[in-house]
Amino acid sequence: MSRRPCPAVTPPPAWAFPEVADHVLPSGLRVRCVDLPGQHVVSVRVAVPLTLTAEPRDREGVALVMARTLDEGTRAHDAEQMAQRIEGAGIALGAGVGERGLVVELEVPGSSFPEALGLLAECLVDPVFPEPEVARHVRSRLTDIAHERADAGSRAALEFIGSYYDATDRAARPAGGSADTVGAVSATDVRAFHAAHVHPDRAFVVVAGDVNGMPGAPADLVDRALGRWSATQGQRRPGASSGARAPDAGRVVLVDRPGAAQTELYLGRPGPDRRTPHGWGAFQVLAFLLGGSPQARIDAVLREGLGYTYGIRAGFRPRRSGGLCVVSGAVRADATVEAVAALQEVLSFTGDDLTDDEVRHAADFVAKTAPGRYATSDAVADQVVRLGLDGLDVDTVTSTVEQVRTLDRSRVAAAWDEVRAGPAWTLVVVGDATLHAEGLATTGFGEVTVVRG
Amino acid sequence: MSLTYPVATRTLDNGLRVVVSEDHLVPRVSLNMWVEVGSRHESPGRTGLAHLFEHLMFEGSAQVAEGEHFRALQGHGGHANATTSFDRTTYLSSMPTGALELALWLESDRHTDLLPAVTQSNLDNQRDVVLEEKRERYDNHPYGDAFQRMCRLVFPDGHPYRHTPIGDMTDLRAATLQDVHRFYLDHYGPSTTVLTMVGDVHPDEAFELAERYFGDAADRTVPRMPATDPLPPAGGVNETVVDDVPSERVYACFRLPAVTDRDFLVATVALDVLAGLAVSSLHQRLVRREESVSGCGAGAMGLVDGTSLGYLVADVEDGHSGAEVDAAVCEELQVLARRGPGDQQVRAALAQTERSYLEALAGTDERAELLSRAASTHGDACYVNAHHDLVRGVTAEDVARVAGRWLTPESRTVLSYRAGPGASDAGRGR
Repeated sequence: MSRRPCPAVTPPPAWAFPEVADHVLPSGLRVRCVDLPGQHVVSVRVAVPLTLTAEPRDREGVALVMARTLDEGTRAHDAEQMAQRIEGAGIALGAGVGERGLVVELEVPGSSFPEALGLLAECLVDPVFPEPEVARHVRSRLTDIAHERADAGSRAALEFIGSYYDATDRAARPAGGSADTVGAVSATDVRAFHAAHVHPDRAFVVVAGDVNGMPGAPADLVDRALGRWSATQGQRRPGASSGARAPDAGRVVLVDRPGAAQTELYLGRPGPDRRTPHGWGAFQVLAFLLGGSPQARIDAVLREGLGYTYGIRAGFRPRRSGGLCVVSGAVRADATVEAVAALQEVLSFTGDDLTDDEVRHAADFVAKTAPGRYATSDAVADQVVRLGLDGLDVDTVTSTVEQVRTLDRSRVAAAWDEVRAGPAWTLVVVGDATLHAEGLATTGFGEVTVVRG
Repeated sequence: MSLTYPVATRTLDNGLRVVVSEDHLVPRVSLNMWVEVGSRHESPGRTGLAHLFEHLMFEGSAQVAEGEHFRALQGHGGHANATTSFDRTTYLSSMPTGALELALWLESDRHTDLLPAVTQSNLDNQRDVVLEEKRERYDNHPYGDAFQRMCRLVFPDGHPYRHTPIGDMTDLRAATLQDVHRFYLDHYGPSTTVLTMVGDVHPDEAFELAERYFGDAADRTVPRMPATDPLPPAGGVNETVVDDVPSERVYACFRLPAVTDRDFLVATVALDVLAGLAVSSLHQRLVRREESVSGCGAGAMGLVDGTSLGYLVADVEDGHSGAEVDAAVCEELQVLARRGPGDQQVRAALAQTERSYLEALAGTDERAELLSRAASTHGDACYVNAHHDLVRGVTAEDVARVAGRWLTPESRTVLSYRAGPGASDAGRGR
């Protein structure tokens, strides 16, 4: 067939994050609604800003067990009845905890939205945490923990937090607790944690989706369901972990897996939080040009050039204060040392080495894909929650995209140089120690400590 | 509520099926190129080619330099990906409306004029990448090879679904540049492809663009292979894998009807009723009451060529045995066939299926994939709307009937994993 010239592209129109309508209920609870026409599944989130440092040290993981047993029985309905009502209404209900707090997530077809809110309220306000259900979830968490340790990727992430963070910091231990602390959690612990921390003080609700045809305004429906959830203002105490880095974090930790089919790599060093003076957008651009596609700096060499990997990703993980720069992926077992050396070389570039072209390309990608990242109700709701728990509003998304649109090379260079000037990488390797320990010591990532797989 | 996603279709003279669905929520378009070639079209000794091809399609084409496909799209706010399955390979991209024409140009170039760019060095490099993909996704995970094993247990020797899309690494290493070129010419062409556009585009404009970029593409594909006879329900030889796994796990695997058969949909509901829900029989009995498993689930893979695959899975708690769990599974299978599901179970299974389906349709990327699938597999893109009504029409009687035919103890094959020293085959283990 005939060959045609490459067609011209017209630039996309200006974009802003979908509008959020705020309501404060008489109880003080803030409800944030986003109308997204055509999104038939409504996403509801309840964000409760509790901190994991509030868990008793010997019961770490109690917050997650509590989150997972919210729907396992209430004053009015037992666990089986709750399951019938939730599943029968087409609801997907989940809950998790992290550094910033508890987030309860609910997805429901719009037609069942009012019913879903009633069930959500029951789970939040009236749970009874029956002993057998708590015991079952504790066992299930212990199984999960065993599976996480067996999986090379999760094992690397677990070893990383223990190696990178200061041993006295909560962040050095898994958010969901460890086998010994989870195993000690009882229904009494769960009830006590719920009573002390799950209340609406500084909590907020997000509703995103097509709200057309609902039997009332979403905020009114939330008020009807959750208006009785009460709080004493000012109940929450500060005390989040600071995410302090261990003084000896600049080293290699090798988790021994004899005969591993691949070697898992996980590198991290200090990175920014969302309030960084460089602008968060500069780091989004860096993440993409480092490890966001097969043509990014890392995979251009390790995947497309050397065929060592299916893909290595890079990104920045903001905490409430400070954060991490993380690079992770799996490489060919018999090329482990070569791959680490190649990665070391790729990551050793300075801000000056960045080209205008690659910065512009990455910035265009980040800015122009934004509308697509926030085009479904769950993605919108998640972003409102993520920012809200960081004390930021959604105009941050719009202004970050604006920043990226006009970002120049020097801003990104300065952002990268700040990461480079900071403390060194912590490198966790999950692979065969007999084969790789000696070679890894020569790659410039510091001394190698071998731990059992 | 019945679904009313707009669907416009046209077939070009060369056989290319074009599907368009407007949605103006954001100024972007999702583009899906669904090519009717997957692992089942591969010849013995040449497995893994369909998937290797998915990789080579990003390495440049006649007018597009290596790496430029991604680069050109990304610079304008687009992204691209691809997946390979048993029946098809799909190329998905999404971009701002103003870059749609660029994306079609890129697709046209690689779907009609790829071979000038498929060189020995690209082939060698992407073969290495695929080997790492296999190790990452299948070899280096506990239970990571379960799906491959299930296919070998359920489908007999010589059946097109017996091997999975990742293929045999020996075959991949043996593939020559000539094999690869032949595969493209045999399978990639307008008559084997569905082009779907979803988003901020009017059908008239979309059809005109499809004509402009694909209208003069010649079709050189070989005739599609004849359909394979459907396999009857039947259990095979059970397999126990002793490996370095964190807990004992039991899969009960089943043959199911082809994805185009309504009974496949009913079977997925039956599997949910058995193990896919908190109110499912196995969850209530084994997780809640007997506490012999820490969790259970169900899955199904709808396939075109006569027979699909379904399974139940349970993680066995310490102090209990896989045999005990399997015995309970058999009892529950018999109960379901004999007494039928509980009303609450059917209500929950249908409501959950309905919500999952609506969630899948929420994003334009996945909606485009489902429209392509509807056009290719069901012969009608409008099936995307109709499927929703079909789900709602499933009854308890349907579930009992289908369970009684396809999900019986006799028709199951058991795959179990037990913790033990060492890997059970070469290259496996951690």
